[in-house]
Amino acid sequence: MRSFNNLVINEWLKMSKKRSFFIPYAIIAVVAVVLAWVLKRWAGDMVGSAFDYTTLMSSTSGFGQFTAMLAVIFTAGLVSGEHGQGTIKFLLIRGQSRGKVLASKYVAALLFALTLIVWMNVVSFASGAVLFGTEHSSGAWRDILIASGSSLVYSIVYMTLGFMMGVLTRSTGAAMGVGMAAIMLSGITIPKSFYKYVLFPNADLSIYIHGGHPPIEGMTLPFSIVIIAVYIVLFLGASFVTFKKRDIA
Amino acid sequence: MNHPNNIQAEDAVLLLRGVSKKIGGKRIVDQLSFDVHEGEVVGLLGPNGAGKTTTIRMIAGLIQMTEGDVFVRGSSIRHEWKKAIRHVGAIIENPEFYPYMTGYDNLKQYQRMNDWISNDRINEVVRLVGLENAMKKKVKAYSLGMRQRLGIAQALLHEPSVLILDEPTNGLDPAGIREMRDYLKTIAREEGISILVSSHLLLEMEQLCSRVVVIQDGKLVTIRTIGENGGSGQDEKDLVRVMFRVGHLEEAKKVFGNHEKAEILKVEPEQNELILSLRYKDIPDLVTALGSAQIPIYQITELKQSLEDEFLKWTGGNRIA
Repeated sequence: MRSFNNLVINEWLKMSKKRSFFIPYAIIAVVAVVLAWVLKRWAGDMVGSAFDYTTLMSSTSGFGQFTAMLAVIFTAGLVSGEHGQGTIKFLLIRGQSRGKVLASKYVAALLFALTLIVWMNVVSFASGAVLFGTEHSSGAWRDILIASGSSLVYSIVYMTLGFMMGVLTRSTGAAMGVGMAAIMLSGITIPKSFYKYVLFPNADLSIYIHGGHPPIEGMTLPFSIVIIAVYIVLFLGASFVTFKKRDIA
Repeated sequence: MNHPNNIQAEDAVLLLRGVSKKIGGKRIVDQLSFDVHEGEVVGLLGPNGAGKTTTIRMIAGLIQMTEGDVFVRGSSIRHEWKKAIRHVGAIIENPEFYPYMTGYDNLKQYQRMNDWISNDRINEVVRLVGLENAMKKKVKAYSLGMRQRLGIAQALLHEPSVLILDEPTNGLDPAGIREMRDYLKTIAREEGISILVSSHLLLEMEQLCSRVVVIQDGKLVTIRTIGENGGSGQDEKDLVRVMFRVGHLEEAKKVFGNHEKAEILKVEPEQNELILSLRYKDIPDLVTALGSAQIPIYQITELKQSLEDEFLKWTGGNRIA
């Protein structure tokens, strides 16, 4: 376990020591502050408090989708980058199994997505507190948690898709492109029964908040959770099998 | 470190047994077997496309073998990879590091992957390769020579028994090549590590290795001990090739032509040189013959067959570079 933690630390350092690492956090901070100011200035009574604002920002219909894109962009190179730089050769002759190495990369990607969501909550709440105050009704914390949680799941789904593409194609561009395209296309719903078994309409769990209507007849919260789990297992399965067998040439 | 010539397989640090790699029905490496012994520097020599890099990558476990196995200190790369790879340090093609990290941060990455590597060990290998002053610099500011040295530091970090290097002097200037060679010799001596180094640079191999394994088209051609065959002519009955540079070429030709013990192989009028084939012990007779014919002699040199000549002979004169 300690050796696995060390591998995750390695992966985290590889991401965080890049000069571009702060960019997604900076984008989120700037958007959260500017949007709060805009709302205060031109739509004064739309947002009641910091809680409302944070829930709005972190939901998938707010800024959660954009966070998923940032997560896809900044984790797309995790595997393909090692191939591209040639560092994969040193990485895989260190006595750590390939499965462990890949798992550590995936865990680092999950941590990255988590920090983005947490950071978004923190800056949204802080700017909201300054501009709108912190008055709140009961269940305000719960709303934030549900909104953030569904954004996190949404980010993880598309990040896992991008992660798999990175492993399969060894190309950062392909990983980023497919991940982003999937996020763009996810908004389109084909109103046919078979489509409920496709990943896209299920990825956003926030549709079930407050008894909302699912886009396709027959979809429920447990149904969507199972579909998401199945797709993630498939994506990861394909990634691990490929990565373990690949000849590093 | 002195081994008898007929070394047994037991004291081999690295053993290849019938290693093959098939890609799409074509055998890139075909039934390759050889050993590397304790403290020995062995060259893996072959023209481009001979399968050197594939062989090296199979030893490190980066490429799966189709047949055969590699043993490092008795552990199989195929079945006990973790145990076997612990004894292997490698640089495969150019050493690549994370360019945006410092040299020290890069080495720390590898330290975290093997928990027995201490901070003292990092300092020790850094000193060994002479990079003390560059450790706080980012790797993107390193020259190729410095990256090579950091590559060696990386390969030595976990105290391996055998070092595997793929074309370590590729892209280095003559000073860098010499520096690399000196480092490798120092390491083999001070750390007692066996080294397997692949290259197509014959002269390099001659100066660095004690043995060369020659392969072509993935097959073993020959295994030679360097320095043993260079001494042709030690045996007095052996025919040797000797170059004479003389004053009067035409008269010298006549003298040699009449001499039953020498055969003229080649005449080079521009340099006033004659190349003869004769027995070692007959050299003084010919000198006397030239002397009595009043022909001035400027130079007599034995032409040894270099590794390059032999290499071309083994590999059927294929282009090397």
